[in-house]
Amino acid sequence: MIEFAVHTRDDGVGVVTPEGRLNMVSARRLKEILSELVSAGTTRIVVDMGETSFLDSSGLGALIGGLKSARQAGGDLRIARVSPAVMTVFELTNLDRVLRARESVDGAFDD
Amino acid sequence: MTEPGPARAVIALENRLSLSAPATPEIMDLVHAMLEHLWISNPDISDRDRIRFEMSVIEILGNVVEHAYAADHVDVPGQDGRRFEIVIGVTDTQLMAHLGDNGLPTALDLSGVAMPDVLAESGRGLALATAALDDLSYERADGRNLWDLLCLRASE
Repeated sequence: MIEFAVHTRDDGVGVVTPEGRLNMVSARRLKEILSELVSAGTTRIVVDMGETSFLDSSGLGALIGGLKSARQAGGDLRIARVSPAVMTVFELTNLDRVLRARESVDGAFDD
Repeated sequence: MTEPGPARAVIALENRLSLSAPATPEIMDLVHAMLEHLWISNPDISDRDRIRFEMSVIEILGNVVEHAYAADHVDVPGQDGRRFEIVIGVTDTQLMAHLGDNGLPTALDLSGVAMPDVLAESGRGLALATAALDDLSYERADGRNLWDLLCLRASE
């Protein structure tokens, strides 16, 4: 099971926090949430992975989909607080180069 | 890859866990729960071994489930829906899983599985499992797809 916390900060950055496992079932929901945010004009998004205990290729696909739509709209998607275990999945796919993990949610758009 | 892989030994492990269930996406949570039990019972397994094994099991199961749904449009006489069986187990040196399903044959050559473009949104599952595991074997036998997954535990 998974819950998603979604909020938009004062600086306009959207923060999405998947709490639990990002698998085939929950990735569909994440994809919808990211797509809705971008459609609504929130094109800078941080996915806070601090509460994400599991990630598979469906979850990666949803993140890449969000990244592409955010960039097409002139923004970006960044990931933060990735656990070492979940980081393994990014490394195995070389996606750590495209989605560089940031240490904190607050500082994810500092550079 | 048509021979049973070394991980097939899991079906004879005394401490193995097994499940037989319909091949639906919602059943994934039950398999995650089985793995959770394995981790709680074996706290000495490293985080990295846990994630690469769990992710691979879920990728293969995802493949089985997606294949099952794709095959639902085909009438197979005498077949009462798509099901799968999974057996998982741990030894001092290995994490092993065996999956079987009654879906249509999977046509694939695991030696040719490549990671797609970094910006691709799908097609990464089997490549990810292949990269994460120490051995992944697939065979078609007696009308079933059989998968054997092996992860050698990292020495501390």
